Amino acid sequence: MAQNVDPHYAQRSDNAKHNEEGRNNPNDSHAVTKRLQKELMTLMMSQEKGVSAFPEGENLFRWIGTISGPNDTVYETQRYKLCLQFPNSYPYTAPFVKFITPCFHPNIDNNGNICLDILKDKWSALYDVRTILLSIQSLLGEPNIDSPLNALAAELWSKPEEYRKHVLDTYKQV
Amino acid sequence: MNENINYKDSWLIIKEAFPILNEPLQWPLPISSEERFSNALNIINQLKLTKTIKSLIISRIEKHIREVIVPEFWSYFKKTDNKVVGFGKFYKAVEVLYNYFTQYLWLMSRLNALCDSNEYSDVTCCKNDSAETLKLIIRATLLSQLPVEHTKVIEDFYDAALNVEDTDGYLNERCVLCTKDNCIDCFYDTNRKLGELGLLEPMVGQVLTSLIYTHIENHVHKTCKDNFDNSYINILENWLNFNVIKWLHKVYCFGYKMDLQESITKFKQKLTNFLYETYTKIRINQLFNIIIEYPESLPALEDLNKCLPNTDLRPLLTKKLQKAMETRLLHPGVSTPDILTAYVASIRSMRVLDPSGLLLETVTQPVHQYLRSREDTVRCVVSSLTEEGPNDLAEELVKGDAVHVDENTPSDEESENWESWVPDPVDVDPRKLSNIRRTSDIISMLVNVYGSKELFVNEYRTLLADRLLSQFSCDTEKEIRYLELLKLRFGDSQLHYCEVMLKDIADSKRINQHIKQDRDYIENNFPMSAMIVSAQFWPPFKDEKLELHSKVLAQMEAYTTAFETLKGSRTLCWKNHLGVVDLEIELPDRILNLSVSPIHATILMYFQDKNHWELDDLSRILHVPATIVRKKIGFWQSHGLLEESKPNLFYLVEGENSRANVSAEVVEDYESESAMASTQDQREEELQTFWSYIIGMLMNLDSLPLERIHQMLKMFAFQGPTIECSLPELRQFLDRKVREHQLVYSGGYYKLPKPDML
Repeated sequence: MAQNVDPHYAQRSDNAKHNEEGRNNPNDSHAVTKRLQKELMTLMMSQEKGVSAFPEGENLFRWIGTISGPNDTVYETQRYKLCLQFPNSYPYTAPFVKFITPCFHPNIDNNGNICLDILKDKWSALYDVRTILLSIQSLLGEPNIDSPLNALAAELWSKPEEYRKHVLDTYKQV
Repeated sequence: MNENINYKDSWLIIKEAFPILNEPLQWPLPISSEERFSNALNIINQLKLTKTIKSLIISRIEKHIREVIVPEFWSYFKKTDNKVVGFGKFYKAVEVLYNYFTQYLWLMSRLNALCDSNEYSDVTCCKNDSAETLKLIIRATLLSQLPVEHTKVIEDFYDAALNVEDTDGYLNERCVLCTKDNCIDCFYDTNRKLGELGLLEPMVGQVLTSLIYTHIENHVHKTCKDNFDNSYINILENWLNFNVIKWLHKVYCFGYKMDLQESITKFKQKLTNFLYETYTKIRINQLFNIIIEYPESLPALEDLNKCLPNTDLRPLLTKKLQKAMETRLLHPGVSTPDILTAYVASIRSMRVLDPSGLLLETVTQPVHQYLRSREDTVRCVVSSLTEEGPNDLAEELVKGDAVHVDENTPSDEESENWESWVPDPVDVDPRKLSNIRRTSDIISMLVNVYGSKELFVNEYRTLLADRLLSQFSCDTEKEIRYLELLKLRFGDSQLHYCEVMLKDIADSKRINQHIKQDRDYIENNFPMSAMIVSAQFWPPFKDEKLELHSKVLAQMEAYTTAFETLKGSRTLCWKNHLGVVDLEIELPDRILNLSVSPIHATILMYFQDKNHWELDDLSRILHVPATIVRKKIGFWQSHGLLEESKPNLFYLVEGENSRANVSAEVVEDYESESAMASTQDQREEELQTFWSYIIGMLMNLDSLPLERIHQMLKMFAFQGPTIECSLPELRQFLDRKVREHQLVYSGGYYKLPKPDML
């Protein structure tokens, strides 16, 4: 567990680990809303190239993110949409992030689920939407072959030509 | 009993006793003696003919009335245009009818005697009731032959009488309306006769009522037309009581005997209501003017306030006033200060009308919206706050209490005044929470037009900066006073910047003194003092370039060095284009004393070095566009100091002839331009913030309609220091982006163009 986890939440998350979504403390929710608002503002003001995100609708807890494939990789010029779902315990718990656009990648399964340590056990409250998206963006170029979700992709990683073909097949122009 | 009755003789005797039975009828009826009459009674009784004779007589009377009297009566009711004639005609008609009636009364008393003698009783004709029967017959027959235009004559009659009554002076004299000396007597006489006939109410009542209504209406109109400085409601009520009701008493005192008082009271209530209603309607129609003339029109408002609860005209008031505001106030032809003046007046007057403030809210909603669309609103509000103006806002500022910072916390005041609590007006939309009482404080209402204190405070800051810089005086006492007052309302934190600004001015004064005492600091040629402002706290300046003359620059450098020694790690960053230069220009024939802007002074200094300048050279040296330089030179040209000998070549005019060239009108180049970045520029910056959000939105959510974008912005972006952006404004902004090819609009959706900036 990361060191900067609020002990109050750490304690609670032991009991309530399995019904994270069910937690609904209005005070917390207010704090989370504020934090997400702030993140949105910084993200909008930063004019970051390559990554972007915005709440999907009235619900501030569900965002749509966009990342463009990193340069000098097979993913270059492609744009992927992701869905970010924030729990009420955010930022002490990681958001649930998932690809919407199909992506052929060793650490991304066919349903868009991502295997990335900072979204799981390496999560820290210091991360925010921007850093998450940047991490995922760099994951595209530097996969972790050792713990693949997509075995085929992991196998083909060493054969760039075939790999590229699969990536392009999977990527559907949005 | 005598069995040999001579029927023929008996009939003659009966006919003599009741002459109505004669055929043909003689009129007036010949009167027979009592002896003959009792004789006739005996005969009738003997023959047991009472009933027959009686019904015969009645039917004869009916026939006579129907065929002779009533047509004659109505024949007077021919339409005339002359009121006097109408008056006379009605009088005459009633007189004729009454004459017939009195004649019949005699007959009726005989008929009564006939009934009595036989102790004969009948349902339709009881004892002593023959007179009533007669009245009934007359009434019925009259009404059955009612001509269409009969009301006209009745109206003329009573109208004339009422007018005479109302103009007290003619009461006992010869009246102007008719030729008779005694027209008032005629009037009473007629009323008495009608009353006796029981015709007063059935025939006259309705006409009289409508007549009185019109009379009241006219009187109210006449009394309070375009005059708001007096309270009229009491005067009008008195008038109603003493003139109209008294007159009614006079009319009706013959009509009813028993319940006169009661029915008059009832009628009076009706009339009072009508009076209130008429008065209220008039005032409602004038309400806009009343508001404009506030506080002179306060009595009218108080009247209205008194009348409103007695009428159900509140919705009308809301509607009318809104309409009036829209047509008279909310259009481009009215200047913003005028709208504000009217707005303030309406706030004040509505306070009188409806202390709960809900009426005010409804009525001023359109004004709010309109003011929001005007660019100079905030500026006007702020300047009228701090200057003496027609709005008295400055006065309001001084007297007002602090605004509740949090509107949702109920103030203690409210619970203290629970006894004077008044429920909300019934017609108010119940969805509007009544517990969020609008503070009727004018300044907070004005500030709330924009829904944000920040914008207001920003505008104040800009204006303050402008004033401080343009005055170049260190006399900030007045400004400090206003600032303290504003602080009471907006809180210290909001106005912290302004406080620093004022402090800068005071500091500048001190620093200037310090530096002048510094021995290392030498002033060549001219004295200089600086206004030292903190970049962090002052609003952004307009960026203009200007390269000053080297002499000035040297002086400024010396000043900067002195400042640096004084203040340690700080330095100065000069704004060359701001400031004031006091010049004394010595010419052969005169001396000019002028206060000019730095650019003017610099131009003249260059001409001191060399008396010919090409416009382009000057522009290059000054780092100012040639067009602007030309404009500034124009100022000196008008003073006769410079002249354009060839196109774009200027030379300095020296010698005696300089005066001759002074043009009649000196070009006052003192554009009172603000040194601050304009509101428009600031707004542009805010829109830029929205633009980042819009890009983010469209990047991730592909395409969105206008409303959705607005909604999203409202939800996520309108926070912190930024302020709201209305839907039309957003549309304008987005459309501009579409024109600049930064957006694509199709089928009601906006999206980013394909090769986007990712």
